[in-house]
Amino acid sequence: MRFVRVAVVAAVLGLLGLLVWDVAHGSGPGVAQKVDQGRKVPAPKLDLPRLDADGRLSLASLRGKVVVVNFWESYCVPCKQEARRVADTARAWKDKGVVFVGVNAFDTKRAARAYLGRYGVDYANIRDGVGTTFGNWGVTGVPETFFIDRRGRVVPPHITGPASTKELEAGIRLALKS
Amino acid sequence: MAALALALAAPAAACTKHASQGRLETLLVCPSCHTTLDESDSEVAREMKAEVKQRIAACQSEKQILDAMVAEFGPTILSTPRTSGFDLLAWVIPLGGALVAAVALALGARVWSRTRVEARAPAPAALGPEDERRVDEALEHFDD
Repeated sequence: MRFVRVAVVAAVLGLLGLLVWDVAHGSGPGVAQKVDQGRKVPAPKLDLPRLDADGRLSLASLRGKVVVVNFWESYCVPCKQEARRVADTARAWKDKGVVFVGVNAFDTKRAARAYLGRYGVDYANIRDGVGTTFGNWGVTGVPETFFIDRRGRVVPPHITGPASTKELEAGIRLALKS
Repeated sequence: MAALALALAAPAAACTKHASQGRLETLLVCPSCHTTLDESDSEVAREMKAEVKQRIAACQSEKQILDAMVAEFGPTILSTPRTSGFDLLAWVIPLGGALVAAVALALGARVWSRTRVEARAPAPAALGPEDERRVDEALEHFDD
């Protein structure tokens, strides 16, 4: 009888532990939804292997700079439409304290690297194989673009779909002022 | 020309046992649609199938191919969790939970049935000779 009680209590405590862990680590409403409401929110952790080089890249290491984060995959047509514009904008702002980071998901490395070469993307790109970061960021499709200010906060606007140069530059200017 | 063809074919010919493309396609999932590769026709699934095919042609074993895919996409690219390391928990927790529940249920049922037997009122003892005589007397009196 005592064993049964201990087993039941242990099982209940285990399940409660799982529930607490899920609440603490669950994605909840993503950053995108909050930013779309005009809020400035701390950027979720982004620490992934580089696609275009060896090693990893962490968003935390870029604190103090304005960062443009662009989620993409190589098979997506709107991503292809914006790719050269995003790369050109990245080059134009490179020496002005603005860093672009691409986040590739749902691709083979081969296809993703071929895409970088085809569209002349020469800014840093990291790889999220199965899109595990999408939940915390609130990314519901690709491409999506976020702007992070120097204090590490994601600030409006948040661009869904292919970004125009005008939209990208407006976002960068707002992040620089934030 | 023939030498070149033979050289190219050499790795495949050297394989004593090929991994199965069909089986591998059931063991891997498409990262964007989350169905197994054999059920997906998305572009990334097609790309993955082509990569599997190339690796098979290069004599890689099933384990080598799965390891390469896990290294590229992470463990969730597998359609079923592995039976080693942390992934083992995915098997142990449900099976262990079911076992613990079954044992708890069996023990609980046993304890419950014992408690009911003990709680039941004791059966009345048989009447002694004196009581039987008194009952008979009373019944005779009742008949009158």
